[in-house]
Amino acid sequence: MAPLQSATPFPKIIADLLGLDINETWVIAVASIAAAGVIATVLLSMTAVLGIWGKRKITAAFTDRIAVNRHGPYGLLIIPADAVRLLSKELIVPEGVDRPAWDLAPMVIASSALLGFAVIPFGNNLQLADPETGLAYVFAVASIASAGLLMAGYASNNKFSFLGGLRAVAQNLAYEIPLVLTGASVVIFAGSLQMSTIVEMQRQTLVTLGGIPIPSWYAFVNPFAFVLFLVANLAEVGRNPFDIPEAPTEIVAGYQTEYSSVYFVLIYLGEFIHIFLGGAIIATIFLGGASGPVLPGVVWFFIKMVSVYLFTQWARSAVPRLRIDQLIQIGWKGMLVLSFANLVLTAVVVGVINA
Amino acid sequence: MSLEEPDNPLATEEQVGATEEGVDYDALADLLGDTVIDREHHVNAEGFVVRPDEVQDALFALRDEAGFDHCSSVTAQEYDDRYESIYHLKKYDDPTQEVSVVVPTSKDEPVSQTAEPVYRTADWHEREAYDLVGIDYEGHPDMRRILLPETWQGHPLGQDFSGEEPQVVTLREHANPLQEDHRGEDDTDTMFLNIGPHHPATHGVLHIETVLDGEQVADLDPDIGYLHRCEEQMCQQSTYRHQIMPYPDRWDYISAGILNEWAYARAAEDLADIEVPEYAQVVRTMSAELCRIASHMLALATFALDIYGDFTAIFMYAIRDREVVQDILEDLTGQRLMFNYLRLGGVAWDLPEPREEFFEKIRDFLDELPERLGEYHDMITSNEILQMRTVDTGVLPPEEAKSYGATGPVARGSGIDYDLRRDDPYGYYPELDWDVVTEDGCDNYARLLCRMREVEQSARIIEQCVDLLEDWPEDEREIQSNVPRTLRPDPDTEIYRAVEGAKGELGIYIRSDGTDKPARFKIRSPCFSNLQTLPVMSEGEYIPDMIASLGSLDIVLGEVDR
Repeated sequence: MAPLQSATPFPKIIADLLGLDINETWVIAVASIAAAGVIATVLLSMTAVLGIWGKRKITAAFTDRIAVNRHGPYGLLIIPADAVRLLSKELIVPEGVDRPAWDLAPMVIASSALLGFAVIPFGNNLQLADPETGLAYVFAVASIASAGLLMAGYASNNKFSFLGGLRAVAQNLAYEIPLVLTGASVVIFAGSLQMSTIVEMQRQTLVTLGGIPIPSWYAFVNPFAFVLFLVANLAEVGRNPFDIPEAPTEIVAGYQTEYSSVYFVLIYLGEFIHIFLGGAIIATIFLGGASGPVLPGVVWFFIKMVSVYLFTQWARSAVPRLRIDQLIQIGWKGMLVLSFANLVLTAVVVGVINA
Repeated sequence: MSLEEPDNPLATEEQVGATEEGVDYDALADLLGDTVIDREHHVNAEGFVVRPDEVQDALFALRDEAGFDHCSSVTAQEYDDRYESIYHLKKYDDPTQEVSVVVPTSKDEPVSQTAEPVYRTADWHEREAYDLVGIDYEGHPDMRRILLPETWQGHPLGQDFSGEEPQVVTLREHANPLQEDHRGEDDTDTMFLNIGPHHPATHGVLHIETVLDGEQVADLDPDIGYLHRCEEQMCQQSTYRHQIMPYPDRWDYISAGILNEWAYARAAEDLADIEVPEYAQVVRTMSAELCRIASHMLALATFALDIYGDFTAIFMYAIRDREVVQDILEDLTGQRLMFNYLRLGGVAWDLPEPREEFFEKIRDFLDELPERLGEYHDMITSNEILQMRTVDTGVLPPEEAKSYGATGPVARGSGIDYDLRRDDPYGYYPELDWDVVTEDGCDNYARLLCRMREVEQSARIIEQCVDLLEDWPEDEREIQSNVPRTLRPDPDTEIYRAVEGAKGELGIYIRSDGTDKPARFKIRSPCFSNLQTLPVMSEGEYIPDMIASLGSLDIVLGEVDR
């Protein structure tokens, strides 16, 4: 049986830096909290930069505009300005909202995405934990967000929120299954759910083209699964053409219509961290994790993660939105069938090769 | 409103009274027989005076036997001794063939038979007449106020209306205590949803009362009037010569200003018999078509916005190109939105100097336009997701469109070949080489495509105008004819004239009473009639398709509410 923790996860590095013995319980606790804090801080600052400033600049580039340029160099000071603005706004609690659920929803949405990062290997041994069931864990915690969306939609006492919440759940149900099934096809290749093993399996060279070795990233080994996963991921994070739960021109802002101030920030944050988590999963299971030439692994990892984020922004700027019934139809009649086909084919191919 | 087929769409082969030279009104009088009690002469057409309880007989005969299938407008007004409703009828095949049906009603009991069973469009028009003037229409399916709030007291365009008295009361005061309360009674699976007046996709302050069955629209009722400014009243209080012209800019305020001004200019010029110099006609034609391009660009942009859902590339691209047109119009008129450029008898001033630079600017825009339109076609019309969303959604069959008085790109998207620029020629259009665009799809996609192709045709018109203006001899550049300082058209002349605005047939009815201000000024807004078709398009469809249909109608609430 493989060990629960791989060689040097992030808490051990911290414990070693502090000169403490990782085998003591309190050291494990302190080092883990410190490591989790570091990763959460990095992600939150990434959200601040890419969600507040980067998103404006990227969308502007797509739509022929300039965007923020009056707040400091390149408009970067928009980040603190926006943070202060959002936090100092009045938190409006509408009449008749279902109190505990309404308050919990933003936290559930934000934390579920953050939890997923616990098992993501960022490269250079920066990984909080590496359980044997890593991939299953990521999918499990990421889908808790659906519950948050439903809570937000249902508890808001607003018909637009209600429609948005229902749409979110219908959409996540329809796309979570293809997402997990496609993830499972990778597991068949790797023979393990453990994130570090999946990354390790992608290190071998697939073919050598003109002297350049092409690694056996699963995006190259099974591009079909990669595309399926990418599409399902777009639906999972709710970006065009699948931004139906929010659909501003139809149902105002969907489940988040009634949220303001800090709660709005939490939902916004949750949405962006969800996109990053999607990017991290794709980087890990399809793009070889932290592997890449010259630059340190962790840099490569972030480059891959941000590329997926850029892809979602591109889709947002260029692709029209589907209608809810079309979306469900594509999910259940198209994606599900294709992902099952992919799973079966992968199993057969791997079985034949191994035999 | 129901989805039933209209009783008899365009039945006859032989249209009574239709001749080569126009309408043979004597033949129509014979057709109407005893229902006619008198005949009036209006500048645009003969008017048959009909008894208030025989309106439907007369209108059915005119529609089915004589082929008058288009009820442009319903004008209501109050005289010293009577109320009067005028139904302005036309033919979609040939809008120069017009006839008016005048229905007088007594002061004591202003009740007249409704025309709604004959022309669906009369539904809203008669509600407006009731709301503003105070005529009651018997047999109307839904007689309530349309522009003013439910609790408004009195009828502001009636003679006994006093602005001194309180005009709006509270709902509680207004409520009828005898009315049964049905709230909370219905045990159905539907959900009532107020879309608007503050909603991202209503293009202004439109309120749509929607009944949803799941995600599908079971019933909807557009509630308008949030932007009602009583433009008609304001025009009635202004002098013909200068004071009225700035108002049209404020009806369809989305850069279609010059097209609107032309509607008033045409009606007033025909009323007072004013000639417009040829040079001014060319300038008018060119500037009006620039407005049409700007207006269609915005329609395209917001339609894409409704489908895409964010301020995405296509929205910004269309706004960028519209900006170029706005710059040209700013050079020409000095204004970006409220142009106030036309004058009775011509235009305010000549093209800006240096002329070469101005022409260069227009030519640059026209040269780039095909490439831009290609870009739009790549991004929207050839996008498969957009086609999934728009093809066969929001279907408006041509018979319904005619019955509801739809005009402009909405009618042409349903395959109705109706464009006043060609069919009821004015300006310099007849001399130029261009085509009327029609699409047979009847759906949201057809209306979108129709607008995009119309932009191409407008560009053709502008190009020819620029060619003409460049070679125009310098000493013949007459921008205005001689118009008396104060216009006093003959008393009791009445006229209804329409032009092809950005959204469709924009008509003006004016009745003069010998003073320098109109006695009645009625605006026939294309958006008002087009918006009526929304329930036909969207009932049974999903909410997103309803939003898309609304976007494809391209309404401007300033023009709907006036």
